[in-house]
Amino acid sequence: MSRQWLIDNQGLFFMAPAMILFAVFVLYPIFYIFNASMYDWDGINEAIYIGVQNYIEMFTDDRTFALSIRNSIYWTFLTIFPQMFLGFILASILTSGIPFQNIFRIIFFMPAIISPVVLGIVWQRIYAPFGGLLADLGREIGATFLIQPYIADPKIAIFSTIFVNVWQWTGFSMLMYVAGLQGLPGEVLSAAQVDGANTWQRIRHVIWPMLRHVHLTLILLGVIGTLQTFALVYMLTKGGPNHASEMLPTYIFQKAFTLQSMGYASAVAVVLLVIALGASIFQMRVLGSRFTIGN
Amino acid sequence: MPRHLGKALAFAFVTVLALIWLVPIIMMLVVSLMPPDQRAPRFGGLLISGVSADNYETVFKDAEIVQHFINSMAVTVPSVILVVVISSLAAFALARLKFFARDLWFYLLIMTLMLPIPTLVVPIFQINKALGLNDRYLGLILPYTALGVPFAIVILRSFFAGFLREIEEAAILDGCTPFGIYWRIMMPVSWPAVAVVIIWQFMTSWNEFILALVTMNTNQVKPLTLVPLVYSGQFMMRPGPMFAILTLITLPVIVVYYLMQRFMVSGLTAGAVRG
Repeated sequence: MSRQWLIDNQGLFFMAPAMILFAVFVLYPIFYIFNASMYDWDGINEAIYIGVQNYIEMFTDDRTFALSIRNSIYWTFLTIFPQMFLGFILASILTSGIPFQNIFRIIFFMPAIISPVVLGIVWQRIYAPFGGLLADLGREIGATFLIQPYIADPKIAIFSTIFVNVWQWTGFSMLMYVAGLQGLPGEVLSAAQVDGANTWQRIRHVIWPMLRHVHLTLILLGVIGTLQTFALVYMLTKGGPNHASEMLPTYIFQKAFTLQSMGYASAVAVVLLVIALGASIFQMRVLGSRFTIGN
Repeated sequence: MPRHLGKALAFAFVTVLALIWLVPIIMMLVVSLMPPDQRAPRFGGLLISGVSADNYETVFKDAEIVQHFINSMAVTVPSVILVVVISSLAAFALARLKFFARDLWFYLLIMTLMLPIPTLVVPIFQINKALGLNDRYLGLILPYTALGVPFAIVILRSFFAGFLREIEEAAILDGCTPFGIYWRIMMPVSWPAVAVVIIWQFMTSWNEFILALVTMNTNQVKPLTLVPLVYSGQFMMRPGPMFAILTLITLPVIVVYYLMQRFMVSGLTAGAVRG
């Protein structure tokens, strides 16, 4: 490497710290889980090479894994679209010049900055069958449908968890739409108004399509968020009852650190990684969603 | 429908919804202020028989909340500083300099954004074990920095890329080095983007859970986010002190967010949203 080459490529020095951290904490771990997934290993004793046995077990004889996949699909659709829909409505109202709109924005965004650990414990108290907010409210006003075993019933535990997640992240969608709406060129909107389009037509045919990049960003972030979900589930339901609300991250944690199967946990992690990268590449190539990669 | 009527309806709608939205947060505060002699709060604790600060006293007396707060700061602050320094250097190079395999580096870094952190817990646990970093602040600072850098690069790079080239060219003619351009021209005017990076990294590091859970095993070094688990046994039958803990964990992020929220919308527009 000549002196001149280094001068021409001094950008590499600026990049070096980021690249070193990336290599140690991202690149190496990826190779690591691929390798570890081929072993029967408790994390302490000698690992035994078993080839693709972990994967075979996972896909043919693992009810919890199947449940985690099912729940991830529920979670993807039942969080992303309600959040987008509600977030868009809120953003439209909160950019229209009503009083206190800044305070409203702060209120709706607030759950997004609070730790899911905290929210999990608070919502346990809202969902509790005795002394819980919803159940007591139901008894008081005679609305018995509010008295439900929200997180104790395997059939509804996952939906109760998803509900909390929607509540937490709708404000984030709102903020992204606020940013998007503020970036729209004013001429287009006033032109539509001159053409006699009513509010609904303006939203449906002008504003909504022009916010395509926000929709796509939210879908991309929503999918990544779904695949990362850990703390809320861990605190609210522990993935239960009987794994009914298990997600892939909680399952990885349980396998690796409760059941001491580091090899099997790594295999689940590989599947999660492949799903995450596959979904992201699909969205970027097919739908065109992206983080600002060009300018 | 007349315009002002529509506006009034919209206002009523967001007001009602905002009140519902706040219920869990208000509940957290109210239960934390519950008098200790009230055994069973009704309505999940929204109705209390009086207001008292006893729970906070209990928490400060029986729990080492100050130590946990220091632990959270000791992890969060260095990771925020490291992310700002490391990502601004890299973002500057990616936006302004030409070098070997530049686009490849960028795509590799961006790939990290698509990576669910839980896929990395097993290897990061083992790396920390090998380096003797479990139960050490550094065992969280380094991975938090590594995982925070890519998002910060996306935000800062698009901010840097929007700068006028002319100023830079004039500086080069005056003999300014690339580092001089970064340090003396770009950074001083980039605080809106840097603010977004700070707030984002602060919140994610402060609230991060799964890596903290596997890295910090000794109570003495656990950050605040693990505290509910530490005391869940001790305070299981006493929601008051537990919710006081929850409120104390939440306060710092709300303060940071409130101080910096005016940068959020503009920062998001500059970074992640632009298509």
